[in-house]
Formats: sequence, C-alpha cells, structure tokens
Amino acid sequence: MRLTETKADQYGTIRNISGDTHFMNRITSIGITEGTPFQTVRNDRKMPVLVYLRETLIALNRNDAERIEVETE
Amino acid sequence: MTNAIALLGQPNSGKSTVYNGLTGSRQHVGNWPGKTVEKNEGYYTYNGTRYTVTDLPGSYGLSGNSDEEVITADFISSGQADLVCILVDASQLERSMYMTAEFAALDKPAVLLLNMMDVAKAQNKEIDHRLLEKRLGIPVMPFTAAESTGYEALKALLAKELQNPHKLASAPQLKEQKGFSSETVQAESEAKYRWISEMLENVTHTSAGSYELSRRDRILLSPVLGKFACFGTILAGFLAAMLICMPLMGAGSMIPQLLNKPIADLLNGLNVHPWLVSIFSIILPNTLYFCIAMAGFVFGVNLVFGYLEEIGFLARAAYQFDSLLSGLGLQGKAICPILMGFGCTIGGTCGTRVMDNWGQRMLTMAVVWAVPCASIWTIIPVISTMFFTPLQTMLVILGILLYVVVLMIVVSKVFGPKLVPQNSRSGMIMELPPYHKPHWKHIAKEALLKAWDIFRRALRTVSLISLLFWAFSYSGTGNVADSLLYKVGTAIEPVTRIFGLGWRTFMGFISSAFAKEAVLGVLNAAFVGDGTVLDATFRSAFNVATDNAVLGQAMTSAVSRPEALAFMCACTFNIPCVMALSTTYRESHSLKWTAGIASFYVCGALVLSCAVYHITSLFL
Repeated sequence: MRLTETKADQYGTIRNISGDTHFMNRITSIGITEGTPFQTVRNDRKMPVLVYLRETLIALNRNDAERIEVETE
Repeated sequence: MTNAIALLGQPNSGKSTVYNGLTGSRQHVGNWPGKTVEKNEGYYTYNGTRYTVTDLPGSYGLSGNSDEEVITADFISSGQADLVCILVDASQLERSMYMTAEFAALDKPAVLLLNMMDVAKAQNKEIDHRLLEKRLGIPVMPFTAAESTGYEALKALLAKELQNPHKLASAPQLKEQKGFSSETVQAESEAKYRWISEMLENVTHTSAGSYELSRRDRILLSPVLGKFACFGTILAGFLAAMLICMPLMGAGSMIPQLLNKPIADLLNGLNVHPWLVSIFSIILPNTLYFCIAMAGFVFGVNLVFGYLEEIGFLARAAYQFDSLLSGLGLQGKAICPILMGFGCTIGGTCGTRVMDNWGQRMLTMAVVWAVPCASIWTIIPVISTMFFTPLQTMLVILGILLYVVVLMIVVSKVFGPKLVPQNSRSGMIMELPPYHKPHWKHIAKEALLKAWDIFRRALRTVSLISLLFWAFSYSGTGNVADSLLYKVGTAIEPVTRIFGLGWRTFMGFISSAFAKEAVLGVLNAAFVGDGTVLDATFRSAFNVATDNAVLGQAMTSAVSRPEALAFMCACTFNIPCVMALSTTYRESHSLKWTAGIASFYVCGALVLSCAVYHITSLFL
C-alpha cells in the first residue's frame, strides 16, 4: 500500500521508494529509507502527509508520498 | 595559519544562532561566486587571534541536490576551511547525524556540536557524549546555542582544535559502485544510517514510541481550523510588530518637524542658496525619519517573526499553505511575508528572511510587492468616493483585490522560472520541529542587529532617491508650474494620456512610487495649488492637512471617471514606496533584480492604467 493510503495513527514500515536520484537523495537525507518504522500522524485530503519517524515529525507532499510503498501493522 | 572555521548543519540545527553568537555584528553578507546563494562570513577575536567563520548554506545532506549542497561540499573538500564545526540537534540525534555521515566522506578536520541540549534535557534524553567522542575520534561538545554562556568554552575548543586538528576516526562503509542510480543512493544512505546506529549504540536511546500531537498542533495542523488559526496568529504577530515599532516611528517622525525650521532659519540667515536650504532642511531630516521608520519596522518584524520561527510556528504555517503557494512556485512559508504585505511592504520584504534560499526569497519579495499595503487602503477609498457612490467604491476595492491575485500569478510566471527554476522546484519535504521555548534575549539581539544594519545601509539609498525626487519637484517660487516635474509632466502629457493619465494625475502616480502617503498631498498641490509638491511629498507622512472636500471638487471638475479609475489602479500597483524598494535591495543584495522588478511594476501599472482607462471610457 502507498503512504498516501495510510490512516492517522497507523503504524508501519517503509518498504519501497521509487524515484530519480535527486528525489532519493532528498528523501533519504531527511531520514526516510527502506526499512524505517513509521507512524502516520495525519493524512488529510489535499494536505501534505504527516509522518513520525526517527523521532522526527515530517511533512511530505502528496506527490512524493505516492511514490512510497509501505507495509502497515 | 588562516584560522578559518566553517559551520555545517541541517536546517533547524541552530546553525545561524551559533554563527551570530560567535561573530556578533562582525558579519559580511555576499554571494557565492557565480551563484545566487547568500554567503555569510564573519569573524571574531579570541585571545588576540582573529578567527573567520563561514556559515555554510543549510541543507539536509551533501549529495548535490541543490546549489546549496554543491557549494557546501565544494567549499569543504577544497580545504578552504581549516576546521568544520558540525551542528546536530541533540533532541533528534539519529536523524540529524546524517549530515555527519555525509561529511565523513570528505575526510576533513572537524568538531561536533550537540546543539539544543536544553530541548533534549526537557525530553529526558541522556546522551553519553564522551562515548560518542571516543568512537568518532573528534571532540563532541554538548551545547545550547541560544544561551550565551557556552560560547567562551566553544571558542576555546575551536582554538585548541585549530592547533591540533582531529579527523573522524570512523566512516560509513560504502561499497564501490559503478554508476549513479536510485538503488545506489538507497544503498548508500542505508549504510550511512547503519553507521549512525553503530556510533550511537549506548550513547543515547532512540525511542521508537508513538507520537501524539499536542493540543496546539491538533488545532494548528487541522485542514480548515488550522488555516484560520495560522491566519489569525500571523495577523496578531503583525499587529504586535506594529505596536513594537510605533514608539520608534513616532519619535522618528518628530525629526523633520523639529529640525525643519531651525535648519532653514539658520541657513537662510547665512544667505545660503535656497537649493541647499531645501536640501538640508527638508530632504535630510526626512531621509533620517524614513530610515528610522524602516529600522523600526525591521526591528518589530524580526522580533515577532524570530519568535514565531523559534517556537516552531512558521513550520506549521508552511505546512498549511504549501499546496496553495506551490502553484506560484513558492514555499508554504511565503504565506507570512505575503500576509504581512497587507500591513506594510517593508515588513513583508524583511519577513522573507525565513525562506530557504535566495531565489525563493527574491521571488517572494517580488510577489509581496503586489500586495497593497495599509497606506493604499487609506487613499483609495478617499479618491474613489470623490467620483463614485459608496457601492461603486466597494466594487473598486473588490476589483483591486481580484487584480492582486492576478498580479501575483503574473509576477510568479514572469520571474519564477529564472529565480526558482522548474527543476529545482520540489514538493515539501520538511521537518516540523517540536515546540521550543523562546530565548528572548537572543531573539531581541538578532532583531536589533538586523535593524541597525538596515538603518546604516538605507541612509545612502534613501537619500539618493530623495535627492532625485527633490530635483524634479523643486520649485524656486513655490508654484507648481515652476518645477521640473511640471515642465516634464506637461511636455509628455500626450504620452501619459495614452495611459489615461493627465499630467497632474501622472504626477500623483510618480509620487506614489515615492510614498503612498504622499499621493493625496501631491494631488492637492497639483489640483488646488495649495502648497508645493515638495512639501506635500515630504511632509505628508506626518501632516496630511489636505481638505478632501476641496480636493474632491477640484479633481472631479478636471478629471474624468475613467481617468480616476486608471489613476487608482496605477497608484495601487506601482512600486510600493522608496523604503520598500530600498529594503528589497538591502535584503536581496541584488541591484539587478531589484531594478528589474521595479521596472516591471512601473510598466505593469501603466499598462493596467491604460487598459482600465480605455475600456471604462466605453461605458462611463
């Protein structure tokens, strides 16, 4: 399932990220890598997705969040 | 030995706080060669030795995603810094160590600063920095950048390390890989995080606990209510900034009143040429007043927005308005300067300091110029009601507001591609930092530094432009008809007529580029012949003795309704004012762009006025 399809307070693990190297660099340097456990904090329509991982609250725009495959618990 | 220190850290690591804490006001802002990225360099002396400090652009990594990252990586690997001071956020140690992992590949001498120890302590986080120091092989120092107490120890450490530098003893094990693909990036970053976990084992405990939004965040981050809350907070912030700068501006406005007559009397007594008398008695005190007013605004805005940024509010506002503003090529954070523009363009312009990079900043300033400031809202209703019914005036105001949106889009389309290239535009990937307690002393100090800086630099720009305007509007006899402005104005009236403006309204248009408050006074001088244009322009800010009824009568008999409409549009969307122009130049350090944007606005206002005049002439 995609990160954009998760619901608030759902927990899971990042499984697969797809995109060019530029995107990959950006997303990994803020702490989102495959295998990272996360918690979706908010996921509202037309708003960036809020996820909590590596002790950090991160706002991620929807287009980019679409490219992240996750596995929920 | 050059003693060059470079500061390296992710956004929100407190890098600029450390930079200001070390260098104080001994700073220089320039551009990196060939790049539109701000270069901050400063120095300090410690035990009689001079140390230079370079504040490297903030970024999350060093992999060359942006100009900022390329500059940073090149600067460090070229060896221009003798020592790199890496900053990490102690409250989010694992994630913020990523920069250190990227830095490791460059193999240069460094020290590690565990910043925000106060926040980490408040979260009950224990960090064994001795153990980390042993593993990394470089000094590790717990630090709280916003408290002034730690800087002596930091300077001592930096001095010691420059004598006897250390390099990282450990680095992420990266496999030699051919090519550069997404998989490589993924594998490398995983190796980096693995290295970080190894380094942090038993140093600190990274809790995998769940996150619960605070009560404040539940409101601020909700889709609808949050937007209103952010809107309200920014509005309140702006009002607070105004309250703070009011006394200073009030005191500044006394200067022309107090100095004008004594100086004029003194110089007249000395039989000095009237030109010089008017320069010294009118231009000089007013320039001083304008600059004090500007500094007052800059101080108030920096104080309030420094506060909102430090406690973590700005990141929330950015989250709320990101999807809306990304359409203009702007970041969500731009919402603050844009809303502040409704109060004062100067405030909005210096509010752009929260933007991430120069291009974003310049584009935001250009967009902020489109927002009509409070002064415009004091003159438009006055002029409009001379010609139109109250209901029609409402329509005029509505039309102006609609055009603001159009103009913002046009500005972002015209300047956006160059300032924020399409390939550098990327969606929001941003950290929302935990709420911090504000360090008032530090915020106030930075606001004061900024205000002083603007004051010092603006004196020159404002006096220059004032002199220019003086030369145009000076009239030896006090009669409008004897000024250069009149002669030029009437001579080119056939041309200004194309734009729908007669020479008198065109004069008003010119003065609106100087200060919006001046418009009514100048119209009065031009239509009623009451006082000189010069007096009207320079004294209007504190003494609008215009009788609107008389002016209304004089104007309605000489100006048609389409011309009035054209004039209002031209004034509203002209250059905001000379102070905003000067602030934009000072904040952007680019004469080229400031001039370019200014010409765009002047031309845009004339084109609009032309269109409005000719179209409404068909109906009115």
